[in-house]
Amino acid sequence: METQSEELAAAEAAPADSGEEAGSRPEDCVGLLLRLMSQTKQQLLEYKSMVDANEDKTLEPEEIMQEKQIEAKIEGLENEIEEVKIDFEMKKLALDRMQLSTAFKNYLEKTDIKTSILVGNMKQILKLNKLIMKFQQESWDLEEKLLEVKKKRLELKQASETKFSEIQTEKNKKKNDLDRMEESDTIKTIQQNLQVEIQITTVIQHVFQNLILGSKVNWAENSSLKETVLQLEKNFTMN
Amino acid sequence: MSVLRPLDQLPSLNTAAVLLVGAEDALLQQLAESMIKEDCPSELKVHLANSLPLPSSGNRPRIDLIVFVINLHSKYSLQNVEKSLHHVDATFFLGKVVFLTTGAGREHHCSVHLSTVERLARTYRSPLLFCDLEKEAFRAAMVQRLVRLLLVCAGHVPGVSALNLLSLLCSSDSPTPEDL
Repeated sequence: METQSEELAAAEAAPADSGEEAGSRPEDCVGLLLRLMSQTKQQLLEYKSMVDANEDKTLEPEEIMQEKQIEAKIEGLENEIEEVKIDFEMKKLALDRMQLSTAFKNYLEKTDIKTSILVGNMKQILKLNKLIMKFQQESWDLEEKLLEVKKKRLELKQASETKFSEIQTEKNKKKNDLDRMEESDTIKTIQQNLQVEIQITTVIQHVFQNLILGSKVNWAENSSLKETVLQLEKNFTMN
Repeated sequence: MSVLRPLDQLPSLNTAAVLLVGAEDALLQQLAESMIKEDCPSELKVHLANSLPLPSSGNRPRIDLIVFVINLHSKYSLQNVEKSLHHVDATFFLGKVVFLTTGAGREHHCSVHLSTVERLARTYRSPLLFCDLEKEAFRAAMVQRLVRLLLVCAGHVPGVSALNLLSLLCSSDSPTPEDL
């Protein structure tokens, strides 16, 4: 493109003295050689994997993939990388554990079991583990009990709710029935009859009153007559 | 050659080469000097460039790591980097490219939004590092990281490859609000 200034600041930070003293210190020399060996191994591995990757490339004809597809594919590949790494770590862990256990076994076979501190520690660990398990079991049981109590409470609450709603419906039904009854015809006829009877009784009352007053009898002296007169004063009304 | 390819040459023994690409010479120079001063068992070669493609002058060792330096205070540096990205082969992005952002501390001077740079790093699946390259202490810490990264990319660390490291560095991606 335009003027690019590529400054080759090729500064070679030489490793501290390993160049000059390589002859005088064979250990350094060997160290350098070992490092170079591991470097070349790693670099060879990289080149090999590149070659393998290029050989696998068979999707050249489908180059025009959507961007979303490419992104999805990239994520899939990244996930694969992660899975392979995890796999590798797990296998390494397993191997380490196996090595550790065999070393431990050999150690145990060699040492005296009674006096070994390691065995004492292991016994302590076992004891503590048993305690832990016991307490965990206890807490689990308590939680179960708590759960059951809560369940019961919930059931009771639900039962009370249903009962309450039933009471409500009964009340409403009763009120509806009452309202309906007031409008029914039988009530009306009964009420009319009642009215008629009350009127008849009032008329009869007045007739008797007038009879007794008209006969000019002293009704205050005769107790039974007095009762009758006073009773005649009772007015009947519609309640 | 107009496109940079990784692993296109045989490596020289015990040597690792890094290419710093950025628009601002002063920053690159400071970074390069700090890197050279870093104590490291292998030899380090630091190349500086303002933009890619590099002029095809031969005799360049194979580039193990490319560091794109973006200054958040200038849009030009971002554009420069974006243009240069076209000249890098796709296989480079398997862990051998790092975006280094500077100037994020001073919010007022930032003309490039942080999310732009983050999106860039996410599109190219490369790690994004933040550093204030003007401060000596931060620069020293970042240089140590970069040197370690360089050693891994050059294959000098047995058992760790660039791709391996990439999945470690980029694994803390959280989905953006746009993706959700």
